[in-house]
Amino acid sequence: MLTIAALNELGADTQSGLSRCLNNEAFYLRMVNLAVQDDGFERLRAALERGDLDEGFERAYALKGVLGNVSLTNLFTPVSEITEALRARTQMDYAPLLEQIFSELEKLRALVD
Amino acid sequence: MLKNHAKFNSINGRRLVLIVDDEQINREMLGYIVSSDFDALYARDGEEALRLMRENVNFLSLVLLDLLMPGVDGFAVMREMKADEALSHLPIIVLTSEHTAEVECLRLGASDFILKPFSQPEVIIARMQRIIELHEDRYIIQSTEREDMTGLFNREFFFRYAEQYDRFHPDQEMDAVALDVNRFHLINEMFGRAAGDNVLIHLATYLKELRERTGCMVSRVEGDRFFVYVPHGGMDYTELAQQVNRHLGSLRDISVRVRCGVYRNADKGVEIERRFDRALQAANTIKDNYAQLVAYYDASIHERKIYEDRLISEMYEALANGQFEVYFQPKYNVEGELPALSSAEALVRWHHPTLGMVSPGVFIPLFEKNGMIQKLDYYIWARVADQLGDWRRRYGREVRVSVNVSRIDLYNQNLIEYLDGILTENGIDPGQIYLEITESAYTENPEQIGEMVERLRDRGFKIEMDDFGTGYSSLNMLADVPVDVLKMDMRFVRNLHSNEKQETLVKLVMDIAKYLSLTVVAEGVEDKGQADFLKSVGCSVIQGYYFSRPLPGTDFIRLVTGATQ
Repeated sequence: MLTIAALNELGADTQSGLSRCLNNEAFYLRMVNLAVQDDGFERLRAALERGDLDEGFERAYALKGVLGNVSLTNLFTPVSEITEALRARTQMDYAPLLEQIFSELEKLRALVD
Repeated sequence: MLKNHAKFNSINGRRLVLIVDDEQINREMLGYIVSSDFDALYARDGEEALRLMRENVNFLSLVLLDLLMPGVDGFAVMREMKADEALSHLPIIVLTSEHTAEVECLRLGASDFILKPFSQPEVIIARMQRIIELHEDRYIIQSTEREDMTGLFNREFFFRYAEQYDRFHPDQEMDAVALDVNRFHLINEMFGRAAGDNVLIHLATYLKELRERTGCMVSRVEGDRFFVYVPHGGMDYTELAQQVNRHLGSLRDISVRVRCGVYRNADKGVEIERRFDRALQAANTIKDNYAQLVAYYDASIHERKIYEDRLISEMYEALANGQFEVYFQPKYNVEGELPALSSAEALVRWHHPTLGMVSPGVFIPLFEKNGMIQKLDYYIWARVADQLGDWRRRYGREVRVSVNVSRIDLYNQNLIEYLDGILTENGIDPGQIYLEITESAYTENPEQIGEMVERLRDRGFKIEMDDFGTGYSSLNMLADVPVDVLKMDMRFVRNLHSNEKQETLVKLVMDIAKYLSLTVVAEGVEDKGQADFLKSVGCSVIQGYYFSRPLPGTDFIRLVTGATQ
């Protein structure tokens, strides 16, 4: 179940996330829910799989903004990292970073399901 | 468009903001954050944002704008807003995590930034409130410092900014320039208010270009009057006036001319308002002089102004002390073989105890300007009526005299009553009084003036149209106005010798008068040549130094009694 305690356990900075939501827990959790359901993650992966770094950057950048706002630090950190690599259009193997992102994402999605 | 400070949501008195972000979470979260203080509209891309802005421009106080969005992005939105006059005044706060974009955003008109991830809600709200407040203050200042129609500084702000300029440029010599549109009221009357406004807007547009080119300061101070504050030596004013006139000359079929008064290297020891008064005084010296476009202020203008102010302030005293004296200039009928004294025009002289004889050419225009002429007119009529009554009793003569009626008199509903009063009091007949009304009074307000003149005629007074040929009567109007005599302007007569065209013009006036069955009086006739010519073309009555200068009453009646003996 999606709770503050569960999020904390996964490394989310729920305190800042909550304060951004005027400490309205229900609202905050709804935002977290929306964030983890975002199909941007899948689109990011698809873009990278076909080598479209431009699209990849746009996706990563958008996700980064959202994740920062809901303070899902565990996801935010690898997404930030991939955003910066993509901003420079670095030619590299993005699979390990993607894997890290999806592994964190699955944990969060498990809370939601 | 509503002014910004009036932009409250009409229902609950809260301000409305637009949140533009392609991410739902960001929109919702920001919306939730601001919901304590603002109402919000949401757009998920630039296109939707612009549409909502245009639909709600009267209610929106602020736009919170994400930069990177698919399709029309935040930069494109800002560019579009900047280019759209209706949207350009809306303040924008950019939502970004990118410091690198800040300069570009500021250049495009952003007022502030909110960083992502969002900071503390209170901080966001405080920033929004501050931007709205700053923006509204600026808007209030801008809308107060400028006048609506032309967008130029208004009088008060112009003077304050000019003073500020002086303070920071103490060694810069400056010229104060006043521009006035000649006979602007006629443009409004003849072509309508919109045409008049159009002239002013065109003039303002030209002056704005001038401002861009030269860095001068420009104001529309009132009506058709513009002030320009220019670094000395930087501008050729004749060239300026010519250019303005060329610029305005292209307006439809209206002939518009601007006159320009310049106080060069204005004395900064004199208040800024007074400096421009002097420029205006200079401009006024060429008010009816179409050949001269520019006049420069000099000390003599100032002295004349002081002299004129003195005359104005001493008029009542002069009336009370009988300093005004009525003179009579004889008019001769030249239809017969020998000229016969037929009547006179009453003219006023001012014997000032210290200034000596003051010319009517000086004080009458002054009194006309401030309305005091009415007092003087009434005084003169009363003196004339008194004199006519006296002559009638003493000599049994019903002398006819014409008196001047100023246009302001014709708006006085008690005019006939007053004239009746002085006639009755002195036992004289209305037929003895001819009323001279200038042509320009007719053109100013033909209907109302026409109605009053009709009533005067019904009462038995004869009406002379004075200064005929200087106004703007259309022949059409002339056929309808109630008038008995045309008094040809002196200028026709004065220029008779100088060119043949003038003779043709005079003949033309005579033909018109004949066609309308009006008598023509020529004034200002100074020599035999003029008199003979006028007689030869059918002019019936002549007034002027050739026959006689204006005479004091005692001399005039002697002439009357002598002449008929």
